[in-house]
Amino acid sequence: MSDMEHETYYLLMMGALDDDLDAEQAERLQTHLRLCPPCQREWHALTAIDRLLREAPMLMPAAGFAQRALTRLPDRRHRAWLLAGMYLVLLLSGALPVLAGTWLVTQYGVLVQEPGVLGTLLRALAHTAEVIGTVVAALLTSAGRFVLENPPILG
Amino acid sequence: MSNEEQIWLEQARKGDKAAFGHLIEAYQGPVYNLAYRMLDNAGEAEEAAQEAFIRAYTRLHTYDPAHKFSTWMLSITSNYCIDVIRKRRAILLSLDEPLPPHPALHSDNNKGPEAEMIQTEQQAMVQAMLQELPEEYRQTVILRYWYDLSYEEIAEVMNTTVSAIKSRLFRARRQLAESRLNREAQPVAQTIAQSVVLAV
Repeated sequence: MSDMEHETYYLLMMGALDDDLDAEQAERLQTHLRLCPPCQREWHALTAIDRLLREAPMLMPAAGFAQRALTRLPDRRHRAWLLAGMYLVLLLSGALPVLAGTWLVTQYGVLVQEPGVLGTLLRALAHTAEVIGTVVAALLTSAGRFVLENPPILG
Repeated sequence: MSNEEQIWLEQARKGDKAAFGHLIEAYQGPVYNLAYRMLDNAGEAEEAAQEAFIRAYTRLHTYDPAHKFSTWMLSITSNYCIDVIRKRRAILLSLDEPLPPHPALHSDNNKGPEAEMIQTEQQAMVQAMLQELPEEYRQTVILRYWYDLSYEEIAEVMNTTVSAIKSRLFRARRQLAESRLNREAQPVAQTIAQSVVLAV
């Protein structure tokens, strides 16, 4: 009998273990098991393991588990306030630069309209963006190298 | 989930720790059993079970009442156990000698009733069999046999497909059966080898 044919009966055995066979499939499996010693051995091993696992009890933790777990729980209300505070800080950190920018424009908007000042400002902004780009690229390269050198990080 | 448990859940969502304590009492067995069967160490299982409850408490707002609370708890526990197993492996890979177990996690000094029960030969055999399996197969077998979950529910806990679960259970059972057959065949092979040696 080929491996493929055995495989068909292995599938039927799994169905039988899950109590998931109809009468015709159960009969087919029984007939085959009577004629095929290797499948018979496999079936006996499978049913023995199935019984062992079904009889294994649900283990309970040592007494006082719930109390020990309870003492480790964080304070949800405190945590909620902390998160709210963090969101507020993030919001302000985003809003403040916008407010500061608006104030600067209203104060020095006239000066910026001067062609010389505008050109210098744009060049300074471009240089700043370039520096930030270099720093970010260096950080990403280092992080990538670190991950490659430490495979467990990727699981 | 019973009405009483739903009330505890609602109260716990509002920050009532005592209400969550009732849920811990109700689910400590299934959560601890899963952790113990996965990790095979009483100290680590206690730590994992506690950590699972802490994670559940801090993420209560993400729990969808359309699903069973037990399934959600088992999912958190099994994910945590898989992380622990992967960390163990990472430590073993990165060191020539394994680290001595942390005293707080060392089961020998902290044997509870569960450790005494496991001394029985049958239980030791079950644990040994489970540890032979890759963790994803082990997880599937545990959820199927101890929790009597359907394939769909196991797929939900493990965040995968029903066909993947069927395939894992099929392979796990066959691996366990092969291993049992090999163990049974070993004494016979040894006897034959001894007879041959004696005959020569």
